[in-house]
Amino acid sequence: MLNDLRYRVRALFLRKAVEDELEEELRFHFDTEVEKHMRAGMTQEEAKRRARIVFGGHEQVKEDCREARGTSVIETTIEDAKYALRQLWANPTFSLVMILTLALSIGANSAIFSVINGVLLKRLPYPQAERLTRIFLSSADFPKFPLNPFDFLDFRARNRSFESMAAFTRGDVQLSSASEPVHLSGFYVTSGYFRVLGLQPQLGREFDFNAEIPGNGLQVILSDRVWRTQFGADPNIIGRKITLDTQPYIVTGVMPAGTEHPGNNYHAVAYGDSVDVWRPFPFEGSSNQRGSHFMEGIGRLKAGVSVGQAAAEMNAMMTQLGREHPGNDTGWTLLVVPLYSEIVGARQRMLFVLLGAVGMVLLIACANTANLLLARASARQREIAVRLAMGAPRVRVVRQLLTESLILSLTGGVLGLLLALGGVRALVALLPADFPRAHDIHVSWPVLVFTLLISLLTGILFGLAPAMQASHTDPKKGLQGSRTTTASRHQNRLRSALVIAEVSMASVLLVGAGLMLRTFLNLVHLDPGFHEENVLTANLSLPHAQYKTDEQTAQFYDNLTNSLNTLPGVESAGAGSDLPWTGYDENAGFGIEGKKPAPNDYFHARYHRATAGYFSAMQIPLLEGRFFTEGDRKGARAVIVVNRALAQRYWPNEDVVGKRITFEDEPKTDADWLTIVGVVGNVKDQPNSTGAEPAFWWPELQRAQLDMSVVIRTRSDARQVADSLRAAVHKLDPALAVADVKLMNQVTDASISAPRFTFVMVSLFAALAIVLAGIGAYGVIAYTVAQRTQEFGLRVALGAQHGDLLRMVLMQSARLVVPGMIVGLALALSMGRVMQALLYGVSAADPLILASVAFVVLVVALIASYVPARRAANADPMTALRAE
Amino acid sequence: MSKRKGNTLTGKIELPQGTLDLLILRTLLPGAQHGWAISERVQQVSSEVLSIQQGSLYPALHRLERRGWIKAKWGTSENNRKAKFYELTRSGKQQLELETETWRKLTLAVEQILEGA
Repeated sequence: MLNDLRYRVRALFLRKAVEDELEEELRFHFDTEVEKHMRAGMTQEEAKRRARIVFGGHEQVKEDCREARGTSVIETTIEDAKYALRQLWANPTFSLVMILTLALSIGANSAIFSVINGVLLKRLPYPQAERLTRIFLSSADFPKFPLNPFDFLDFRARNRSFESMAAFTRGDVQLSSASEPVHLSGFYVTSGYFRVLGLQPQLGREFDFNAEIPGNGLQVILSDRVWRTQFGADPNIIGRKITLDTQPYIVTGVMPAGTEHPGNNYHAVAYGDSVDVWRPFPFEGSSNQRGSHFMEGIGRLKAGVSVGQAAAEMNAMMTQLGREHPGNDTGWTLLVVPLYSEIVGARQRMLFVLLGAVGMVLLIACANTANLLLARASARQREIAVRLAMGAPRVRVVRQLLTESLILSLTGGVLGLLLALGGVRALVALLPADFPRAHDIHVSWPVLVFTLLISLLTGILFGLAPAMQASHTDPKKGLQGSRTTTASRHQNRLRSALVIAEVSMASVLLVGAGLMLRTFLNLVHLDPGFHEENVLTANLSLPHAQYKTDEQTAQFYDNLTNSLNTLPGVESAGAGSDLPWTGYDENAGFGIEGKKPAPNDYFHARYHRATAGYFSAMQIPLLEGRFFTEGDRKGARAVIVVNRALAQRYWPNEDVVGKRITFEDEPKTDADWLTIVGVVGNVKDQPNSTGAEPAFWWPELQRAQLDMSVVIRTRSDARQVADSLRAAVHKLDPALAVADVKLMNQVTDASISAPRFTFVMVSLFAALAIVLAGIGAYGVIAYTVAQRTQEFGLRVALGAQHGDLLRMVLMQSARLVVPGMIVGLALALSMGRVMQALLYGVSAADPLILASVAFVVLVVALIASYVPARRAANADPMTALRAE
Repeated sequence: MSKRKGNTLTGKIELPQGTLDLLILRTLLPGAQHGWAISERVQQVSSEVLSIQQGSLYPALHRLERRGWIKAKWGTSENNRKAKFYELTRSGKQQLELETETWRKLTLAVEQILEGA
C-alpha cells in the first residue's frame, strides 16, 4: 500500500524522469531486438522493420505503461495542458482574441448574475421569509391601496390565517442633537411589528399593546446606526429620554444592525433603505372613522396556510366589514401579496431580459470561438494526423483539443471575473435609485461558482465540435496531402451555420437595444408639464408639537417663501405638498355642485397643497383663471386650482373656472363650497404613466400641511441658493432640519433611471454581440478566400475583372449575413411581447428600428468582408499558380 | 503482430488471462533481468509456444513494480548498454508462491475434468 503510494507520487512529481526512463527502457528493448535479428543474418533495415512489427505502436505502449503506473488521469491532463499552452503560446494573437472575447462575455454574465443573485436569489433577511405577506386594499380606481387603522384592528382580531399581523406608516422625526437638528426616517408601527418580521431588539423590547393607546405613545425604538452615531452606543440607553420633534421620548429598544426595512408604498422607503426610529402607532379617534387609508399591512402566515387561503379569508372578512360599515368599507377587495414578490416583482422582468441578452452574448462568443478553433483545426490537420499515425488513440486527441478549449475558457473566466468585480461596482452605481436590494449585490460565492460553471460549459460547448471533427482526421490523407490542407465541405457548412447563428442573435440584441433607445428618448423628450432646469428643492417637516394650528404652519411657509423670493438670483419660490414624478398618491372624494356621481362611483382626485409661488417656480403652465395669491387666506373665499385632467373628466366642454366642489356630505352654507379659480397643465405621476391623474390643489394658506417640499427657481445654477435656503429656514426656526436638498434635475433623472439602465445595458451587450458576429463573419470569409487563392488567380488569368472577384466575395458574405439577419429579426418580432412591458411609446415591431438594425448588420457584414474581398480581387495569377 | 487467438501457423498461443504476471515473476526467480531478456526467456523455455507481446510486457512490469512485487534498478546489459533490471522483492516471492499454487490447483482441476469427461 505504502509502496503503491510512493510509486505513484514519484511517478507524478518526477514525471519527467519517469518518462525519460520509460523511453530509454523501450529503446533498449528495441535495439536489442534489432541486434538479435542482425545476428540471425538480417540486414539492419530488415531487422529494424521486424522489430517494429513485433514492438507494436510505440505511443500506445507508452500510454499503457502510464496507465499501469496509476497516475495517468492527472498525468495526461498535465501533459495535455502543457501541450495546449505551447499551442496557444505559438499563436498569441489568435489566443488573445479568443480569451478576450470570452473574458468579456463571461464577465458580463457574471456581473448580471451578481445582480440576479443579490436581488432575486438571495433570501430575504427575515426568518421564514416565505411566510411574510403584504396586505393591501384594492378597487378599480386604486389597485393597491393602504389600510384604514380601524379596519386593520378588525383584521388583526378576526383573522385565523396569520400567525401575527402588524401595520406601519411613515412618520419621520427630527432629532434634536448637540449640533444641527437631524432628520431621521421613521415609522409608526403597531405592537408586534418586529415579531411579524421575526426580528428582536438587541437591547430592550418591542412595543406592547399598551403602547397603542393614545397618550401612552411617547416611546421609541432606535436603529443600531442612530444608537451608535448619535448616542455613542450607550449601553444604558434603555429608559433614557431623548428629544424628538421637540418632545421627550423614552427609548425602549435598540434594533440590531442589519435590520432591514421591508419596504412600503405609501410615502415609500425602499426595501433595505435605512430606517432609524420606530414609534408606537396610537389608534386615535373613533373606530367608526374608516375613510382614511394610510397604514401598510404586513402579516406572517401560519405554517401550512397558503397565500390564496389567506386572501380568501381576508376577502370574506372585508365583505362582512362592508356590511358593518357601509360606505367606507364597501367596494374593496383585499390583496395578499408575498413580501418577496412585492419587493422584487416589478424588476424581475427587466433582470430576466438582461440575463437573456447577456446569455446570447455568451452564446455568440461560444460560436465565435468554435469557429476560430474549427479554422485552426483544419490548419492543424497534419499535426493531428501525425499523432494518430504514431498510435495515439482518437480519444486522446479529442481530450487534447478539449483541454485546449478548457484552458481558453477558464482563462477567459478568470479574466471575466476580474472584469465582473469592477463591472458590478459600475453596475450598482448605474442602477435605478429605487432598485430593490441593490446593497445585496456583490461578487459572492454563488457568483464564483456560476462563473466557473459557465466557463467549463462554454469551454466544452465551443470545444466539442472542433475536437470531434479533428479526431475524424484520416491519418493517411493528412500525411499524404500537399501543405494546403483544405477543410471538408462539411466543415465549411458548420462554420457558416455558426456565423448565421451569431448574426441572428446579434440582430435580436440590436433590435432590443433599438427599442430601449427609443423608449429612453421618448421619456427624455417627453414634455413633462413642468420645467426642471435651475430648480432647487428640499423637504421640511414642521413638528406638530410646535406648530399646533394651521395658522402657525401657514404663516411659517408664507414667511419662508417671502424671504426666499427676496434672495438675489431667485426667480420664484414656493412650497408644495409633493414634487412631480416622486410617486405621490393622495386621494380624496368630493361632491360637485349640480352633479351626481354614477351609482357605485364617486367623484375623486389626487389632492395636493401649494403656496402661491409653487406653480411658477415649477413652471407648471396656467391654462385658465389664476394661480393662488396672497389673498387666498383663512377667512377669504375657499378656493382650489385644478389640473386639466380633472376639468376634462368632470366638466367636459364646460367652463371650469367658477365651478364649486365640496367635501361636506351635506353642504349648507357657501363656506362649505370651494370655488375653482384656475386650471393648470397636466403633470403625470411618473414619466411613463399613460396619462395624468385628475388632481386639485388647496392653498397652503387655507389648508395648511406640516410637511412640504420647497421649490426655488433661480436664474442660473440653483445649487448656489442651497446655503441661503438653510439660513432662511434657520432664521425662522433654528431647530428645523432641511432634508433632501436636491436639484429638480436629480429628481427627474432618478425617475427615468430604470429605462436608462436597461437601455445602457442592452446597448452594451448588443454592441459586443455585433462586434463578435463581425469578427466571426470576417474569420470565415477570410479563411475561404485564403483557401481559394489559386482559384481566384486562375480566374484572373482567365480574364476575370477585379470587380467580379470583389462581388463574388461580397456575395458570399451576404449569403451568411442576410439569412442570419432575417432569422434574427423574425426572432425579435416573436419575442417582442417579453419586452413590451419595458417599453414606452414604441411598438416592439417598430419598422424604423427593424430597418435600422438590418442596415447596421449589413454595414458590419460589408466591413467584415471588405478586407478579404480586396485580397481576393488583387489575386495575382502568378503567385497563385506558384503556390501549387 | 496478429491479434488472432491461437496463431496456428507459428504454433504460438496467446497467454491466458492473468498468467502474464505469474510468468514474469517466475522468470525473475533466478535473478534480476531486463525486459527484453524476460520476453526472450519465456519464449525459449516454452519452446517458442508462448510469446509475450511487448505491448503488454512493459505495462505489466510497471504494474508489478507499483504493487511492490518487483523492484527496478539500472544496470549494464550483456551488450554493455544501460538497461533497467527487475528483481523479485520479498513480497514478490510470496506472491509467486501463492500464484503458482493457485495455477497448479487450477490446471489440475481442469485436467481432471478433461480426463473424467
